[in-house]
Amino acid sequence: MAPKLSTAQSSSAASSKPTKATPQSPLPSSFSALFKAYTQNTSSRLKFIDAFLVFLMASGILQFVYCVLVTNFPFNAFLAGFSSTVGQFVLTASLRQQVNPENKLEFKEVSHERAFADFVVGSIVLHFFVYNFLG
Amino acid sequence: MAAPHTPFLNPGKSASSTGDSVLVILEPAKKAEYSIFLAGLEKKGYSVTLRAPKEEQPLVIEDGVPNFSHVMLLASDTKNFAKDINPQSLVQLLSLGTNLVLTLGLKQNLLTSLAPEFSLLLPPPATPLVSFFPERSDSPTVIPIDVSSQSIPNDTFSVLSSQVNGKVWFSGTPFALNSNPLVFPILHAPVESFAADLSDGSGLVSDALADASEKGGEGLWAGSSLAVVAGFQTLIGGGTGHGADAGPGEDQQARAVWVGGASLFTDEFANKKVVEKVVQERGMKVVENPSGNKQAALEIAGWAFQERGVLRIDEVTHHKVNQTGPVEMYTTNDEIVYTIRISSFNPLTKKWEPYSGLKDLQLEFTMLDPHIRTSLPPVSGKPGTYSTTFRAPDRHGVFKFAISHKRKGFTHLHHTLSVPVVPPRHDGYPRFLSAAWPYYAGAISTSVGFLLFCVIYIAGEAKEEKKSKKE
Repeated sequence: MAPKLSTAQSSSAASSKPTKATPQSPLPSSFSALFKAYTQNTSSRLKFIDAFLVFLMASGILQFVYCVLVTNFPFNAFLAGFSSTVGQFVLTASLRQQVNPENKLEFKEVSHERAFADFVVGSIVLHFFVYNFLG
Repeated sequence: MAAPHTPFLNPGKSASSTGDSVLVILEPAKKAEYSIFLAGLEKKGYSVTLRAPKEEQPLVIEDGVPNFSHVMLLASDTKNFAKDINPQSLVQLLSLGTNLVLTLGLKQNLLTSLAPEFSLLLPPPATPLVSFFPERSDSPTVIPIDVSSQSIPNDTFSVLSSQVNGKVWFSGTPFALNSNPLVFPILHAPVESFAADLSDGSGLVSDALADASEKGGEGLWAGSSLAVVAGFQTLIGGGTGHGADAGPGEDQQARAVWVGGASLFTDEFANKKVVEKVVQERGMKVVENPSGNKQAALEIAGWAFQERGVLRIDEVTHHKVNQTGPVEMYTTNDEIVYTIRISSFNPLTKKWEPYSGLKDLQLEFTMLDPHIRTSLPPVSGKPGTYSTTFRAPDRHGVFKFAISHKRKGFTHLHHTLSVPVVPPRHDGYPRFLSAAWPYYAGAISTSVGFLLFCVIYIAGEAKEEKKSKKE
């Protein structure tokens, strides 16, 4: 636990740097600065969670586009597929919030293990409903 | 005396499908005038009972039950009848399933007041049908009517068959037919004929014609749109094989025939020769042909007594396509097979025989409105069977299979059968549709992604823990 805490402190200290820099720099460079800060200051664990979030978002957008452009015919299937991505996104985002060292103060009594267990149980319940509804 | 009325039991020894007993209401003095016709009826197996118009017995209806299967009023010139013969009792007879043959006279009596109830429009009293064509030695009121020139619509049963050879002598009053769909002409008046009063000598006829032509033909009863014999089929019941929706006792349809003059049935007209001039190579030749009255009288009475044109529904079945047994309920969009078997009575063999002759039978699948109306064609190779396949509408509710076949001269066929049509059950819908594969893939990829995520996350945690332990 101790090393984690130290990384959190260091990352929070580092992240304060680009926020200061953005007002002076033009728009493209602010994006690159943001990206740089993200790649540098985010722990690999959070990056991995973010990658999963991006995948879920892409999957949801694809399904929505297919529904709008091609067919929504088995509407229950669309709802199941789309809500599985949305639900998984929400659960994963909650996990990210709880394991983010920056939010340590807010989730004092929630350990990482507890957060992950909540995430797994919530996901299993979600998938149970999704496959029931997929028809 | 009279056999008890047996509505639609096994046909008896007569040619009729509804019973053997006939009551003929006739002045006893005139019995000899109708001997050929009455003998013809008895030869067909009918038990004929005669009753004078003013005689009290036998009653036509006793304790609400008709005493006879058929009643024939040949006493057309009688003014007063016995108490139990009145318009009300005649209509009651029809509703009880007794067939009637009613003959009109030139004088007014109860039948002239009853006729409008059957949508017959009578000319003023004492105006017989008159025709001066063809040229003949008889009185202009005694008219030969050509049966073969009568035009009968396709969907109408032709009461006078091709066995009626020769012209039919007629003398009496014609009538026009109102638009009532239940009444239809059996024998039309000739084109040249008209109704006029001849009692004051034939000179007045031309006056009447002249007056009428001045008025533009108004008030003149003339031409072939007039009928001299008309048939009427009652609506009550389905006659035969009625569905479960019919009440008991109401399954008997009756027929009534109106004849403009009772003389059509007489021996005099049956024996009267029709004198015709035939054009030959060397001038004209006078030929005497027998009249068609004998056969026509029996066929007119035979139609009224339900010998011919009698149909019944034997059996109605329905099931899903590719299944045999009946089902309690159908699902929307099911393919349904509906089959009906129809018989017709054969007066010669006195048996019901399968009948495939209906070309315009229709089936309706109704819930308030007919959602489906389809033709019900005869099945080739299966006599008397009519079948069709149709898709149940995409609508759930209680539907009815309805057959309603009403054609002039035929027994009306009416049959309804209710079946529920339900939406598919929760597991009755199609599954694994190709259109839904993106959604399935989305859900599966989410689950797989979740599992992978968990594995990698836990692996990462273990690594970190190792690291922390090392440190």
